[in-house]
Amino acid sequence: MSFEDQVDEIEANTILGGQPFFSRAGGKIFIIWLVLTTIGVLIGIYAPHHLLTTFLSPEGGDVWATMVFFTVLAAPVAGFTYAVAIYSLLAWRHKGGDPDVPPPDGQPQRGNGPVTILWLGISTFLVVVLLFWGITVWSAQQITHPNTLQVKVTGQQWVWTYSYPGTGVETRTLDLPINRPVQFNITSEDVTHGFWPAALGVQVDANPGVITVIRSTPNKLGGFTVQCSQLCGLYHAFMNNKGAVVTPKQFASWLQGHGATPEAANQVADVDTSTDSTTAMSK
Amino acid sequence: MTTAVAAPPLLEDTDLGPKAGGFYRRQNIWSGLGFGIFLGFVAWLVSHATVQGSNWGSDMVVTCTMVGWVIGFNIGIGTFNAPIRWMLGDDQTHEDELYAAGVGQGRSRYFKYCTDHKVVGTQYLVFTMALFGIGGTLAMMIRTQLITPHSTFLDPQTYNAIVTVHGMIMIIATIIMVSGPFANFVMPIMIGAKDMAFPRLNAMSFWVIFSAAPCLLATFFLGGVNAGWTTYAPLSVQAPPAMDAFAMCIITFVVSVTVAGINTIVTVVTMRAKGMTMGRLPIFTWGAVVGGALGLYAMPAFLAVMTMMITDRATGTSFFVPQVGGSQWLYENIFWIMGHPEVYVILIPPVAAVLEIASTFSRKPVFGYKVAVAGFVAIAALSIMVWAHHMFTTGWAPNLAAPFMLTTELISIPTGIIFLCTIGTMWKGSIWTRLPMYFVYLFLWNFIIGGVTGIYLSDVPADQYFHGDMFVTAHFHYTLLGGAMIGATAAVCYWFPKMTGKMLNERIGKVAFWTIALGIQVTYFGQFWEGFQGMARRVAQYNPKFEAANQMSTIGAYILMTGWLIFLYMMLHAWRHGKIAPANPWHSKTLEWKVPTPVPLENFLVDPVVTSDPYTYGEGVPDGQEVPEFAPVKQPELVPAGAVPTEEPGDPGGAG
Repeated sequence: MSFEDQVDEIEANTILGGQPFFSRAGGKIFIIWLVLTTIGVLIGIYAPHHLLTTFLSPEGGDVWATMVFFTVLAAPVAGFTYAVAIYSLLAWRHKGGDPDVPPPDGQPQRGNGPVTILWLGISTFLVVVLLFWGITVWSAQQITHPNTLQVKVTGQQWVWTYSYPGTGVETRTLDLPINRPVQFNITSEDVTHGFWPAALGVQVDANPGVITVIRSTPNKLGGFTVQCSQLCGLYHAFMNNKGAVVTPKQFASWLQGHGATPEAANQVADVDTSTDSTTAMSK
Repeated sequence: MTTAVAAPPLLEDTDLGPKAGGFYRRQNIWSGLGFGIFLGFVAWLVSHATVQGSNWGSDMVVTCTMVGWVIGFNIGIGTFNAPIRWMLGDDQTHEDELYAAGVGQGRSRYFKYCTDHKVVGTQYLVFTMALFGIGGTLAMMIRTQLITPHSTFLDPQTYNAIVTVHGMIMIIATIIMVSGPFANFVMPIMIGAKDMAFPRLNAMSFWVIFSAAPCLLATFFLGGVNAGWTTYAPLSVQAPPAMDAFAMCIITFVVSVTVAGINTIVTVVTMRAKGMTMGRLPIFTWGAVVGGALGLYAMPAFLAVMTMMITDRATGTSFFVPQVGGSQWLYENIFWIMGHPEVYVILIPPVAAVLEIASTFSRKPVFGYKVAVAGFVAIAALSIMVWAHHMFTTGWAPNLAAPFMLTTELISIPTGIIFLCTIGTMWKGSIWTRLPMYFVYLFLWNFIIGGVTGIYLSDVPADQYFHGDMFVTAHFHYTLLGGAMIGATAAVCYWFPKMTGKMLNERIGKVAFWTIALGIQVTYFGQFWEGFQGMARRVAQYNPKFEAANQMSTIGAYILMTGWLIFLYMMLHAWRHGKIAPANPWHSKTLEWKVPTPVPLENFLVDPVVTSDPYTYGEGVPDGQEVPEFAPVKQPELVPAGAVPTEEPGDPGGAG
């Protein structure tokens, strides 16, 4: 009997054979797989929901959605591998006898072309889906919006300094107006730092000598922390400070509180106070 | 076991006379340490007298001292004896070679420049365990510091230094943990070779890496490296003189890895037994070769970047100092061109060992042997094109985010193939649940978690959140500790009887197994939780909102430590007092189990002739018969040292 014939016979006796589906190895593995995949999908849905930090921006929402989507995609594959491993322990484990004597040899199955090709096909398909998702989300984040608030971020050992061009404001806290696209222009005075406002779901390194850029559009009110994500020396762990997403009016008055003229503050905060304050109030 | 022909006299019993070995007779680890310290001191004196006081004086002094130590140690241990004698026209005689291979020196050969590949393998095993011991102790200090948010157990300076050395020492240890002990001890026997292709380079690779470790530990006494194991410039350019010692450690280490990689490849290409075609190689051999070849590609970049680092620091070349025209991105690129292939240098050999073990304990051939080999090669090829995924958030070349996302995600295809081969090997096997197989299952469990969490990090939008976060730490500990190191642990359990001649106590082993398995899950799920919440890596203190997750991780770390200590106890106890192992306790079909234990010098008394690959399980070919097995190696009735032959029930392999 040729090797292929042997493989065919083995398969005929196992997966495709004459017994009812759920009493065959394939059927039992299918049940274990279903249970594990369900658990995996549930973890994928609930773990990010309960464990991820509270995001204040759609970029953070992208992180959350990516976590869920990727876990749901990966769960069947991981579940299948676990299912076979678990089933091999349940059904094919050699029990009893002298533990020093090896069990009789298993099936001389040296490979299975169709299964390998199927596996390759599935994993290639999944990679294409992952890539498509990643590139779509990534390019959507690259779109520049008009009327973007510019914030200059400067890292140095071991503080962050934020300045808002046009206002002369320079602070150690990062306040941002809600629903306004913001572009951070980041640089460093000394070594490489990592500018990481975790709640905004974006980060980029602060490098000396160059300006790196990230964009975000905060869409929820709330406070957050800016951390340094790149080991930068002695007090790296302490290089973090507070930030907040506030309403435009609060933002304008916050700018004024830090030394901006009312005109500059209102202009940068994009608060229209020229004629009808009622419009601004009704917002 | 029939010995129809009288066995030829063992090489070990050769009387070499009082002069064989020449200078080797006076050299051992103590002369190495002594001369290393002496030459380091001389280098310190000279460099201190000449350059101290200049701008970069202390960097120059530390570099010179470390160079002096490394060269001095290697002169003292005997690395340069043979080349120098060759250059002087006084080449080594056969007796000298035999002396260098350890003939007639008993246990002291383990402390010498010994060219026997089995001695080198054992040296590597003990050395790797020592490195894991140091690295693990540092890890426990880190976790102890992080048990409360504002702990003052360690000050930030010490903490950063410990984080750096923990990372680097574990990277070094994991790179050599399989390619050192097993590619040296087991692999030549597997392919039917008498030794490695270059036995002296083999000994050199060990003693060079041995001399690298003190440089790394010296960093603690030179101010500490505060830049993490990645030592990103320009922080590392400004770091204390410890950074010079760190860089010298890397340079020395790369020399060792390069020499070992060349040796592995040349051995497999040129030293195979008759009939051992490349298609009949045991799968572990393929893993060792692909890992070694990938190391040859990756590691020189590390040497280059660390040399530039030293010149930056000691002579002001400013390759990496942006303020004077250098670029930190240049550093990061060269570093990760090394750094990403390097994780596969770590991973491929243990994964191949796992396939080997899965085959033996499922009593089945490796599923998809050629596909698995192609998978290793594809992983290696792809891994040289993915480095910039470590730089997604550095701001460098944002346009390259998508291409590197593509290559990174592509690598999950060959990795998935390896999973298929592992579960395919188990499929309808007769699973023999001995200790090595336990660790194969644990490998599978952990490595899938490590792999799946890697997918999130390969996605640029998600990586923008997770980069530099504890999630990354948890991910790579799941792959490198939970995957690679557990695979290596399976390999230790598997080959321990051949390497030491003793059986491990599996009752203790199973206690260790479950403790380690539990410890890994608790520790790194704690760190995933920290990562989800947004805690940055490498911080000495943290926001109290991360406290619960950190406490979970620290508790897990203590469980894990307990597990490793039990495992260590099991190993050491078995090594001294263990049950004598038969030559082939697992009834495996690869060649290393067909030679007696302890393995004689030059391994084979009669050269083996190979007629099939070692995976003939269940194919109706009786083991130990002429066809189509390996030609039977004539086995003298050797039993491990200390055993009384008649007391043993005998080698079960002989009954077959």
